[in-house]
Amino acid sequence: MAAPCSRMANRPLWQFITNVRRTGLKHTGVRQISLSSACRAATQTRSKTEGVPSPWKLYGAVCLQRLPVISQERNPIEDQFAELMHQMELERSLLSDHEQRLLEDSERMTRKQADNYDSDEEEADYGGQETITAQDQEDTWEQKLKHFQPALRDRDVGGTPLGSVERCLGDSLVLLVQQTVGKETIWLLPQAQWEAGETLRQTAERGLSSLPGQLCGEADFKATFLGNTPCGVYRYKFPKEVRTERCVGAKVFFFKAFLSAGSASQKEPFLWVKKTELQGYLKPPYLEKVDRFILNL
Amino acid sequence: MFLVLSRQTAVPTNVSSLMGVDGHVSQGPWFASVLTLKTSAPLRAEPKKKKKVDPRREQMVRERLKKKLKKLERVPPELIPIEDFTTPAKYMDETRVRGAPQLPFEESERRALLLKEWSRYKQTQHRAEMEAVGLAVEAQREALEELRLESEELYQAALRPDPLLFPFNHQGPSYTPPKAQYEAPEGKYNNITKVYTQ
Repeated sequence: MAAPCSRMANRPLWQFITNVRRTGLKHTGVRQISLSSACRAATQTRSKTEGVPSPWKLYGAVCLQRLPVISQERNPIEDQFAELMHQMELERSLLSDHEQRLLEDSERMTRKQADNYDSDEEEADYGGQETITAQDQEDTWEQKLKHFQPALRDRDVGGTPLGSVERCLGDSLVLLVQQTVGKETIWLLPQAQWEAGETLRQTAERGLSSLPGQLCGEADFKATFLGNTPCGVYRYKFPKEVRTERCVGAKVFFFKAFLSAGSASQKEPFLWVKKTELQGYLKPPYLEKVDRFILNL
Repeated sequence: MFLVLSRQTAVPTNVSSLMGVDGHVSQGPWFASVLTLKTSAPLRAEPKKKKKVDPRREQMVRERLKKKLKKLERVPPELIPIEDFTTPAKYMDETRVRGAPQLPFEESERRALLLKEWSRYKQTQHRAEMEAVGLAVEAQREALEELRLESEELYQAALRPDPLLFPFNHQGPSYTPPKAQYEAPEGKYNNITKVYTQ
């Protein structure tokens, strides 16, 4: 009897518990009372999924980000360091072909202008070719560059409206919409209520495509969702008047997406805001949860 | 030997079938010559010996060739030279050396202090990035926990990988924003990279 007892003791607790349940003997009723609390919680959740619906309403929301289009302005220290690096690299480098050519040409010029200039000797060395100096080439290249006009970096001087996607090109922007939740109309990330038979990611996609601008066909957002996993959750309870036995509150699951293509003309209901500007539009508890997964990197 | 024996056993049966009841081998002139032809040809024939030894000889030759081939194949393949690691000869020229500037004391001090400040700046930046990523991961973990409490089915659906996500392409930020309706000038180039095969 000693050997089997020790073997039973060596097995992990969960295996013992499952074994007990499988055998279903009468005397296991006594043992079940002494089960750990974790196992009890597991049984509770299992019964929940089987029959009783949860008291939380589920919503799927999308955090649509437009990634930066141009590089950000440098800090003063970054500026200084970049300059230093450039200087140091120049000092440690060798002369390039172009620079050698420049030196040779300048030497030849000085020799031509000297008093004892022998043109026959020079032509014998160089074969009498029509030489285009490196300096001339540099000038022609600069002229060509001036013909090209790049687009301006800072377009915000004109004061682009908050609803435009072309706002702060150096930062990543998040889409906010105004929706009626309960009795109030508030700014939040576009969301839709979950319906049975679809995954939460599909709910989020539906929330994005069913925006008022999208339905009219004016605004068209092409978003790439980053996987099926939600990146954040916001749980809130309804005010006491609305609360019933069935629904205590709502859980909003957020999904991240990147904007791949979007039309320029947008109406007022949309807002593209930077992470620092979110504070002015979102409610504090909501902002607290949303702020965590919106990265400003 | 086998062939000879079989021939000898075959002969009497032939003869008996011809002769009928009498099993004696009658020594007719025709039969004798036939017999001699039959027995002498295999015993004396050189082509028959070649049939035995030639396959062996050919096999030996083939084996020797195979061994030689194996020895040749055992040589490791020639390594492809990495052109970035070999300094081209024209850069070893002394005339190309730039004059090393003599830095004044203040300049070298300024550089040293700037480098130290830069490392401090980068350290704070790195710490901030790590913290931000940690918060995002924590937020995701909480979301998955809450989802699991809600429904197991949705949780499993959330854990499944998305096959359509990769390959993921995105154009990174440039110095100036893209111009609308810009036609880049057409050009051509000659590709002179050396391609090596092993």
